[in-house]
Amino acid sequence: MLHIRFGENGEVHLTGRFDASQVDKATEEFEKITASCTLNFAELEYISSAGLGVLLMTQRRLNDSGQSLKIVNLNKNIRDVFRYAGFDKVFEIA
Amino acid sequence: MEKKFKREIESLEKISHFVGEFLKSHSLDNALSFSINLIVEELFTNMVKYNKESGEDVEISLSKEGKKLIIRLTDFDVEPFDVTKRGEVNVNRPLTERKAGGLGIHLVKRMVDQIDYDYSDRKSTITLIKMLEE
Repeated sequence: MLHIRFGENGEVHLTGRFDASQVDKATEEFEKITASCTLNFAELEYISSAGLGVLLMTQRRLNDSGQSLKIVNLNKNIRDVFRYAGFDKVFEIA
Repeated sequence: MEKKFKREIESLEKISHFVGEFLKSHSLDNALSFSINLIVEELFTNMVKYNKESGEDVEISLSKEGKKLIIRLTDFDVEPFDVTKRGEVNVNRPLTERKAGGLGIHLVKRMVDQIDYDYSDRKSTITLIKMLEE
């Protein structure tokens, strides 16, 4: 199960597992992001290519208006997946 | 251990529990959970997406032989779909040229040491081997 919470400081917090069963719900939530913001992955345990697809489409949409997503606090496994997918080149990661 | 799962995305939660049970029963490091879940999810969701004509469940088998972790997915009553022949994804493309699809098999290939595909009697079998570290 994936939880997405919009924090008061503009950060978006993801918690749980971002697998293919969560894509519809996540897409709906991510459509609310209309300006540059930080995604905090501190509580995100898992992501598959389905989740990566939602992130990529959001980044592309924001990029069209000169905005972007920054991603922080990735665990080691998710950091590896980002590297394998080349996402470390299309997202600012800290 | 092996188990059949309904051909639907909602099966992923049960599959994740199945992976957890396997790791526990073999006293394997929970760090393996991420990669096994990802490998199984990517292949299972491909079967759900592309083999809609089959009404059969998908069988997933996990086993350990020495240092080899063996993952096998069997898809019944389907057309052939050889994952080993899927083209590589260029992950160096700029953002504007990137697409959401096609990454799954690429990630699986990065996480295993061997992939074999077999097709006979309208049955697809994908066998993956991941060498376990000491």
